Amino acid sequence: MRNILAISGNKKHPSGSLARNRKQEVLIGVLFASPAILGFFIFIFIPMIASLIISFTDYALVNKMQFIGLDNYAGLFNGSDPFFYKSLGVTTYYVLLSTPLCLLFAFSMAVLLNNDSIRGKAVFRTIFYLPTLIPVVASSMIWLWLFNPDMGLINTILRALHLPTGMWIYDENTVIPSIVIMSLWTTGGTMIIFLAGLQGIPRQLYESVELDGGNAAHKMFYVTIPLMTPTIFFNLVMGLIYGFQVFAQAYIMTEGGPNNASLFYVFYLYRTAFKFSKMAKASALGWILFIVIALLTLVVFKTSKDWVHTEGGK
Amino acid sequence: MNGNRRSLRNLILYLFLAAISIFCLLPFYWLLRSSLMDLVQIFEMPPIWFPKPVKLSNYTEALTILPFGRYFLNTVFIVVLTITGTVLSSSISAYSFARLKWPYRNLVFGILLSSMMLPYAVTLIPTYLGWSFLGAIDTYYPLIVPAWFGGGAFNVFLLRQFYMTIPGELDEAALIDGAGYFTIYSKIIMPLTRPALIVVGLFTFLNSWNDFLGPLVYLNSEIKYTLAIGLESFKGLYNAQWHLLMAASTVVILPAVIIFFTGQKYFIEGIAMTGLKG
Amino acid sequence: MKKTVFWIGLIVLLFTLLSNVNAGGDQEKSGKAGAKEVVTLKFTYWGGPDEKTAVVDAIKGFENTYDWIKVDAQHIAGDYDTKMATMIAGGTEPDIAYLNLGQAFPWADANKLYNVYDLIANDPEMDKSDFLDSIWYNWAPGKSFGTNSAVESMAIFYNVDMFEEAGVPLPPAKAEDAWTWDEFVHVAQQLTIDQNGNNALSSGFNPDNIKQFGFQFSTWYAHYMTMVYSNGGDYISKDGSKFTLAEPAAVEAIQKLADLMNVYHVSPSAVQAKNIPGGAAGLQAKKVAMKQDGQWSLLALGNSGMNFGVGVLPKLKKSVTLVLGAPTVIFSSTKHPDEAWLLYKYLADAQNVLNLVAGGLWMPILKDWYTKPELVSKWAEGNPAHPEGYKDAIMRQTLEYGVAGVEYYVMNWGELDSLVNPALASVWLGKKTAKEALEEVEEKANTLVTGRYGF
Repeated sequence: MRNILAISGNKKHPSGSLARNRKQEVLIGVLFASPAILGFFIFIFIPMIASLIISFTDYALVNKMQFIGLDNYAGLFNGSDPFFYKSLGVTTYYVLLSTPLCLLFAFSMAVLLNNDSIRGKAVFRTIFYLPTLIPVVASSMIWLWLFNPDMGLINTILRALHLPTGMWIYDENTVIPSIVIMSLWTTGGTMIIFLAGLQGIPRQLYESVELDGGNAAHKMFYVTIPLMTPTIFFNLVMGLIYGFQVFAQAYIMTEGGPNNASLFYVFYLYRTAFKFSKMAKASALGWILFIVIALLTLVVFKTSKDWVHTEGGK
Repeated sequence: MNGNRRSLRNLILYLFLAAISIFCLLPFYWLLRSSLMDLVQIFEMPPIWFPKPVKLSNYTEALTILPFGRYFLNTVFIVVLTITGTVLSSSISAYSFARLKWPYRNLVFGILLSSMMLPYAVTLIPTYLGWSFLGAIDTYYPLIVPAWFGGGAFNVFLLRQFYMTIPGELDEAALIDGAGYFTIYSKIIMPLTRPALIVVGLFTFLNSWNDFLGPLVYLNSEIKYTLAIGLESFKGLYNAQWHLLMAASTVVILPAVIIFFTGQKYFIEGIAMTGLKG
Repeated sequence: MKKTVFWIGLIVLLFTLLSNVNAGGDQEKSGKAGAKEVVTLKFTYWGGPDEKTAVVDAIKGFENTYDWIKVDAQHIAGDYDTKMATMIAGGTEPDIAYLNLGQAFPWADANKLYNVYDLIANDPEMDKSDFLDSIWYNWAPGKSFGTNSAVESMAIFYNVDMFEEAGVPLPPAKAEDAWTWDEFVHVAQQLTIDQNGNNALSSGFNPDNIKQFGFQFSTWYAHYMTMVYSNGGDYISKDGSKFTLAEPAAVEAIQKLADLMNVYHVSPSAVQAKNIPGGAAGLQAKKVAMKQDGQWSLLALGNSGMNFGVGVLPKLKKSVTLVLGAPTVIFSSTKHPDEAWLLYKYLADAQNVLNLVAGGLWMPILKDWYTKPELVSKWAEGNPAHPEGYKDAIMRQTLEYGVAGVEYYVMNWGELDSLVNPALASVWLGKKTAKEALEEVEEKANTLVTGRYGF
C-alpha cells in the first residue's frame, strides 16, 4: 500500500518561492484534512441538525410529519412519560457507580503492572486486556449465564465459600451493581491507557522523592497521581461519555428489567424509536442526552483547571 | 530484613494479580465448560466444573444451524474495508492537522474533537433515515463508508498526537529536497508511525468486529448478517439452549482473540508509545 | 492533483466492490416464466428452526404450483419488530409478511396494510366464513388486515409419569370437568417435592430447597390474562375507555397466580424458572409436573418422546382459554396484490403446511380442519404431538371457549404492556400485592389507554 501511495508524490516544485509554498501548504492542508471534515459534516453535523428538526415533529414512521413545537420535550419533562425520569435516573446511577470504580480498578492494575519488580508483566497485561476483546453481544451472553442464580459461576463460587449468594441481574436492587461488575471485567482498555501514562513519568522525579526520604505513599501522592491527572481526566471524560450510552447489556441481558431497574437511557431511546416507531420522541430523547453529556463534560472541563496537572507547555 | 519485607510485599502483589487474572479468565473457562456439555449436565445441581463427557458436537450443531461461516466472511469483508478506510483517511487528516499550517486549523480540530462526546443515539435516527433515503438499507454502505471519512475523531486525535512528536526538521529537509507533501506523508510519516497505525487498525478492528447496533439497524437479510447479529439471532432461536449458545459465543469470540494475540506486541506497546494524554 | 485522482480511483474501486457484493446478495429473477411475466414476492417471517424448514418447504410447493411467482422469503431471527420498523422507514417493506400486532394496528390505521376483506370479496374460491370467526383482526368496521398465521391457545401440559408416581389424578381434558382453583392448588401441592422428598402439603416441607415443582407458568400476559378472563376480568373496559386490570376480578386472578409462587411454593419464581430448562426439557427432566404454555409446545413435546398429556387450565369462574397469534399481512405498497393473496391463501391451507400442523406447532385457521373428521384426523390425532385428550383439551376448548387475547383489541398495547409488565414483576416476587402494584400504575395506564379494536 505504501508503494502505491508513494507514486503520486509531488516532485515538480523544488523549493519554489516561499509565498507559493505557503499557499500550496494551505491548499494541501485543507485537502488532506477534508476526509475528516467531510465526515464530520455528513455523519455528525447534518444528522444532528436533522435530529433536532425531527424532534419538533410528530414523525412516527407511517404518518404525515407535522411540526408540534416542543411537545415531545414537554411530554418527557412534565412526567407524563412513565419512563423518562426512570431511565435517566437508572443511567445516572450506573454512570456514578461504574465510572469511579472502573477508573480506580484500572488505575490500580496499571500501577501494579508498572512495578519493575514484577515478573511476567506482559502476561498479566494480556490477561487483563483479554476481556475487552469480547463482542458485547457475546460478553452479555456469558455474563447472563454467570449471573444465573443457581447454575451460574458466581453463586457456585459463593456457595463453595459458604458466602451468601445473590440474585444479581434478577433483582431490582442488584441489577445495576451486577452490570457494573461486568463493566469492571472489560476495563482493560482503560488500564492500558493508564499504563502508557505511567510510563511517561520521568524516573528522576521518583528518585528525588527517595532522596528526600519519601516512601511509596509519598511517591504515589506527590508524583504519580499529580502527573497522571491528564490521563485520569481523559479516562474520566471517556468513561462519562460511554457510560451514558450503555445499551447492549440492557438489550441482551435484562430487557430493562426487573421492574425497569436497568432501563438504560439509550435502550429506552432505541425501544421508543424502533419498537414503538416514535422517531420524533426518540430524537428528542437523543438531544436531551446530548445536552446532559455536554453539560457534564463542561463541568468536568471547568473543574479540571483545579486538579489536572499541566506540564508547562502543551 | 528489607529483602524479606520486599519479598512478602511481592508475594501479596502476585496473589493480588493472580486474583484479578482469575476474575478475568474464569468467565472464559465457564464459557468453554458450558459449551462442551449437554443441556442436562448444564442444569445439574450443584453445577459441575468439568464436562463429562466432552461434547464437541455442540460446535458442529451450532455451526450448522446458522451459517456462521457466511457471517464470518461478511464480517471480515466489512472489517477489512473499514480498517483500510480508517487507517488511510484518519492518517492523512491527522497529518494535515499535525504538520501542515492552514487558517483556523486548531479551531476546526477542536470542533471535530467535540464530536467525540456526541452520543451516537442523537445521530442514529437521522443517519438511518438518510441511508434509507439513499436506498442503502440492507447493504454494507452504512457500516463501511463512514470509515473512509476520517473514521471518527478518536483515531484522528490519536494519530495527530503521535505525529506531533516527530521532529519538524524531517519534513523541512524533505521539502527542500523537492519532495511533495504527499511524499512526506507516505514516505516519511507513515513508515515512522507504523506502531500508531497498527493501534488505529486494531482499535478499528475491535470496534467494527464487535459492532452490534450498526448491523442490527442496517442489515435485514439473514445472508448479510455479521457474527455479532448472527449470535444475537441465535439467542432468539435457541433461548434456553445454553450449551449451543455458549458454543456459538465461543465461535464468535475466537477470531478476535487470535488476531489480538498475533498483533498484541504492537498493540499494547503502540498505545504506550502514543502516550495518550488528555 | 494526482492524489485526488488516486482518492477518486480508490473510492470508485471501493464502491464497485461493494455494489458487486450486494448484487451477489439479491439473486436475480430466474427465468422460470412460462407465458406470464415472472413476479417476485418478498415475504418475511419468523420462527424456530422447524418452522423455518416447514415454511421453506411450503414456499417451494407454492412456487411449483404457481410457476410464474418467485418468493424471496426472508427469515428474520432476533428482533423482528425492529426489522419491520426499519424496513418500513426505508420503504423496503415486503409484499407479504408475518407482523406483530403492536405494529399491525397502527400501520393499518395509516393505510399501510391491505384490507383482506377486499381481496376475499374478489376471490370466487374463498369466503370469509371459511376461516375461524374469532381470529380476524379488524382495525375498523369492514376492514381487516387478515387472520392469524396460525391459531394458538393456552393449556396445561404435563408429565404423565410424575402424576402416576405421586398417585394423583390426571388433569381433566374437558372444560366441564375443569378443576376449581382449590382442587388445582391441592394437586400442585402434592406434586411439589423438596430435596428431602416431602411434598408441599407435608409439615416438613422446605420451600427453599425444592427439587420438583407442581406447576410452572410464565409471567407474560398470555398466562395471567387467561386466569383474568376466567375470573370475568379484562385488561380494559368494554368501551375501551379505561384500564381495568386494577379491578377486583383481575386483581384476584393475578394474586392467585402470584400466591402459587410465594404462598404455596408450588410454582417456580421468575428467578427459579431460570434454572429449569425451557421447552419440553423441564417436564422431561422432572423439574416440573405441569406447565401452562401455548399449544405450540406440542412440537417440542412430540419430538421429545416422553409420556405427556394435555389438559384444560383450572377455572376461577368459568373455563376458558386465551387465543393468541399474530397475523400474516399484505402491505398496501405491494405491486402484486393478486399474487400476494395467492400466497396468503396457500399458507392458510393447513394441507400446505401439514408438517407444522401435524407436528404440533400450529393449529389450522380454516374451519373445515376442525369440523370435518377426515381433515381432523390428518393432524389432531395419531401422531406423537397430539396425545389422547388433545381434541377436547385444546382443539374444542379453543373453538368453544377461546377468548381472543388482549393484543386483538387493546389499542396501544405495546406501551401499556411496557408499563404494566414491570409493575407486575414485584407481584410475582411477592414484594407487593397485586392490588398495590396495579393501583400504583392505574393512573399512568389510563393515560395510555386509547381505545378498543374489534368490530
